[in-house]
Amino acid sequence: MASATSHRRCPPMSSNSTIQLFALPHFKPDLYERAWQSIPHPHAPLIATAHHKSVTIFSLSTLSSHSTLSGGHERSVRSIAWKPYATPNKLCLVTGSFDRTAGLWRWEEEGHSSSDALDITATRDSSSDKEDKDWEFTLVLEGHDSEIKSVAFAPGGQYLATCSRDKSVWIWEDIGASESDDEWETVAVLNEHEGDVKAVAWCPETNRRDKGRYAPDCLASASYDNTVRIWREDGDGEWVCVAVLEGHEGTVWGIAWEPRPEGTRYPRLMSWSADCTIRVWELKEEDEEEDKEPQLQYAWGGLRSIPNTMRRSMKDEWECTDILPKAHTRDIYSAAWSQDSGLVASTGSDGILAIYEEEAAGPGILNGERHATDAEANAELDGDVPMTNRHDATPKKQWYIKTTKPNAHGPYEVNHVTWCKRYDSACPPERKGIEEMLVTTGDDGIVRPWQVIR
Amino acid sequence: MDNANPTILTAAQLPTRQSKATKAVVQGPVSQLSELIMRKPKYLSEPFCDVSWHDIREKDNDFTEEPIDEQEIYDLISTISDPEHPISLGQLAVVNLPDIQITPSPSAHSDPDTLITVLVKITPTITHCSLATVIGLGVRVRLEQALPPNYRVDVVIKEGAHSQDDQVNKQLADKERVAAALENDNLKGMLDAMLATCE
Repeated sequence: MASATSHRRCPPMSSNSTIQLFALPHFKPDLYERAWQSIPHPHAPLIATAHHKSVTIFSLSTLSSHSTLSGGHERSVRSIAWKPYATPNKLCLVTGSFDRTAGLWRWEEEGHSSSDALDITATRDSSSDKEDKDWEFTLVLEGHDSEIKSVAFAPGGQYLATCSRDKSVWIWEDIGASESDDEWETVAVLNEHEGDVKAVAWCPETNRRDKGRYAPDCLASASYDNTVRIWREDGDGEWVCVAVLEGHEGTVWGIAWEPRPEGTRYPRLMSWSADCTIRVWELKEEDEEEDKEPQLQYAWGGLRSIPNTMRRSMKDEWECTDILPKAHTRDIYSAAWSQDSGLVASTGSDGILAIYEEEAAGPGILNGERHATDAEANAELDGDVPMTNRHDATPKKQWYIKTTKPNAHGPYEVNHVTWCKRYDSACPPERKGIEEMLVTTGDDGIVRPWQVIR
Repeated sequence: MDNANPTILTAAQLPTRQSKATKAVVQGPVSQLSELIMRKPKYLSEPFCDVSWHDIREKDNDFTEEPIDEQEIYDLISTISDPEHPISLGQLAVVNLPDIQITPSPSAHSDPDTLITVLVKITPTITHCSLATVIGLGVRVRLEQALPPNYRVDVVIKEGAHSQDDQVNKQLADKERVAAALENDNLKGMLDAMLATCE
């Protein structure tokens, strides 16, 4: 569609509420070398940062080092994924490395059987002699031919996806008899990308009921070939590519699923790229009930005239519905979509940290009625602004830049941004574990939390 | 060897600046890392340089506000050796002063956090040069080591000089690929040898 081919000339700044960013004291110690990403634990007040051949775990309470994972990889660790549903007092994560392997690591709190594991792990003395002994490198996943760029656990923890410069995505299944039994097998090797696969992300669990072929267990991958691909399991254990999302004009550095979709809508997908844009994609769901009335299909053109049996061949129809207003001048390396607020944060080579919000286009402005001037209408016809889309009766929502922070890491590039809960002492006690902050990770080896104030 | 008889410029034909005060070269954490990775044995330090790196270093104390200009960028990369000839990229006219562009133009009192883009268009000696990527990588690594962290280095093949421009340009622009390449022993060895003539 037209909106997918160019971005707006002027970034719209919302006139409503603004958002301010304040740098909080950064995590100690400095890493003094490029750090690639920092991934918060799903429940515990911990965040794991990949740098060189190691991972440093920081406490979100003390903003200092909790433990270090080292000695498992021969080359840089590029990505980290926490295993969901690890038992209390235990931590488990996977690292993806430039040495072509993924490593599974386990950490067990010794001498504590308390169920209150979170506090214990968070306040542990970082100078402890046992620091490095607690992490055990328990399993190596081998198979990729070159650097692993990204690793991701499916929401249930049963599947792990890895991707590599070798253009493939691998899906691994946990077949261990118990949580501590580390046995994994390869269930799929997906070879359809034409370039390095830069990132993988699983569709999150949502409230929606299982809607037939749009079931959960859906994986998205982003590539150097400028595309995003969507993968599903076909019911017979085969993983197939159900959609290719084309539109980016440079490497797609990453993808994020909408963490909290409206109502029972299928989660949207966000992708960001070397082309300095962030795109939002939406699944066009076909109503399953229509399948029972095949005669109706011939009343429509295109896909609907294809016989029913062919339509069963699992193809998703995805559409680019938005391009976020332009905030960046160089590669966008990372973006994050908040589950709590719906805000999106992005960062990259230009060192800018930007925040966007999706809101109604303006007071009383509905779809089709929003052209104040001829110029605006022409801009829409030229494809400079998105054409009207899906919900004709509801106010059109639009993305606005809420704030931009240049030089988020001084002169350095910023490699990663994530949303994460606050547990630090400067946070009011009643807000701990509730208030969200941003954490950025840069080429300067600094891991920096940001307070987000409306 | 792809091109056994390249055109070679003499030292007198290379662009220089006489008696120009040199600038401090800032080493950030990233370049410290690169330096560690790229550390070379002393015996490789052969003087192919018309500008000595040591001279620049020794004048760190005379730090002036003078901005880094195209000539200085040229001086940093023209002394890199070609991976297959024992000749510098300047002498081979792979790097040329008019093909270096600094944006915004150098000005005296810029904020050290202001991003400055250095665009270098390289001209590989023959159109099907399989080593174009390695040469480009050498230029990028050299500049990233030597320039302050607010500099962003873009290395591209000069239009029409190479048959797979886009492919090479995309690789050279990919930070993750460049980082991984520096951890590859074979490539690292080649780059070490190329950059050894810069000091």
